[in-house]
Amino acid sequence: MTALAAVAAWLQPALLAALAFRITAGEADASWLALGALVAPLIALLAPARPPGAPPVVGAAAALAIGIVLAADFLVAGDVATLLGGARWPGVALAALAALAVAAWPGARRLAAPALVTALGLLALAPLAVALAAGAPPWTAWPRLALRPTLTFSERSRWVVGGDRFARRTTLRFTEGQRVTALADGVYRVVEHDAAPPTVREWRLATGDVLTLRPGDELSVEAGARVRFEAGRRVPGAPASGVEWADAPARGPDMVPAALGALVTLVGAALVLVPSPRRSAAAGPLLLLAGVSGALAWGVCAAAAFPDLALGGALPAPLLRLPALVLGARAGAGVLVLTLGALALLLATATLALRERLAAAASPALELWAALVVVAAGVGMWPLDAWRVLTLGLGVAAAAWAPARLADGVSGALAGAGVLVLTFAALAALPAVAPGGPLWLEALARYPALVALPLGCLAARALPAPADAGEPVVG
Amino acid sequence: MSVAAGRRTGIIALLVLLAVAPLLALAPAAPGAVRLAGVSLLWWYVGVVAPLLATALALVLLLRDAG
Repeated sequence: MTALAAVAAWLQPALLAALAFRITAGEADASWLALGALVAPLIALLAPARPPGAPPVVGAAAALAIGIVLAADFLVAGDVATLLGGARWPGVALAALAALAVAAWPGARRLAAPALVTALGLLALAPLAVALAAGAPPWTAWPRLALRPTLTFSERSRWVVGGDRFARRTTLRFTEGQRVTALADGVYRVVEHDAAPPTVREWRLATGDVLTLRPGDELSVEAGARVRFEAGRRVPGAPASGVEWADAPARGPDMVPAALGALVTLVGAALVLVPSPRRSAAAGPLLLLAGVSGALAWGVCAAAAFPDLALGGALPAPLLRLPALVLGARAGAGVLVLTLGALALLLATATLALRERLAAAASPALELWAALVVVAAGVGMWPLDAWRVLTLGLGVAAAAWAPARLADGVSGALAGAGVLVLTFAALAALPAVAPGGPLWLEALARYPALVALPLGCLAARALPAPADAGEPVVG
Repeated sequence: MSVAAGRRTGIIALLVLLAVAPLLALAPAAPGAVRLAGVSLLWWYVGVVAPLLATALALVLLLRDAG
């Protein structure tokens, strides 16, 4: 396998879109996630290779992990369709058809490497065009953004001019007064925190009705709700200022378990999704650098120009909305087409690489791949958060699949996978069993691989390697 | 140094590079918030220094082993 094919399974549209989105939104974990997305696959490229072949339990874990990662990509495809003004299903259906077509077409593998290079080139060029037009490349946009006293709705923002749509159910917290205009009939739930206990009001609004919100109010909207905001007001849910965007107040020692969990999940997942290459070794690290740097540049440029781009919750919003807002309708449409092409090529190369991983770890049967694509497409129809789904898929890969790569034999791989599945399930169920727990417990529930991976590796290593020592475990 | 030993050292170096990012961000007194040329130390690190170092390290090891 070449390094290009090895890194294609990692450079998922969902991962790159999520990185750009989280940087735009000023999420506290965006910085180390971006570095983790680059370094984790580099570690995997250097890790010793294992010949293919795996026990059925590990194959099942691999199929589950790949199916969930695929679902995250389809959720992004659904978000793309809604951002273009349509329903979710055409985007998801097109992505699923593409995933089936590239797997069934024998010539696809030959074109994968140039397609991946082209996709990353387009993704890197587009923010460059936006930055040049705006006169603010990322290295100057960052300090300008970090100095802004408030992050407010621009007069040119889509949320102000014609209104925009929420990709999924969202709760917005307002830090200053705001008049929100409903652009679709629906129920809008407001929680007023000016008295104890808080007052909950449900407003049934028709198109054009205005809701006046005060500082401290929370507004819950359903997926698909369309609203318009006032220009010059703070963006609800976004950092209050450039300083808060640059140095999120949530950062602190309390976040250590979550940071460790995210990094362990990324490294563990990369160990199984990115196999050690045998040829074209130099291309892999360079492509990873280009992909992650491109996502980082998108995020910084989007946050500097329109900090409200992350408001609707659609991961590809910074990538698809920014060009038209900065370059104008005509030039922006050209860049939008290039970006859509890049995402489509990334999806094609990623699905092809995932199919190869599935064939190595479970079965090369086309029927298995088709079944996974159908189930993932079913998940993609729901307006779920693609980032949560992606971290779940990477967590399953890290927890139930990765120890098999580190085990000395089949029995160790089985023990590792068994321990991991139990630990993973117990931790993932924590929010249901003990809601409102401390931060470190929340981090464990969100990144069960943090505990499951070391425990599984210990179990895998603890078992003696009998006659099967050195035999193939997983590729 | 053998290929395997070189790669093991490389992996450890990459893990150290990775671990520094949350340390900078989450350590008390927020050392990552210090500004250098307008950009915070944390973002210099995760956006420029660590990616270039990590990529160069992986490249050197992979090319050496291929050669």
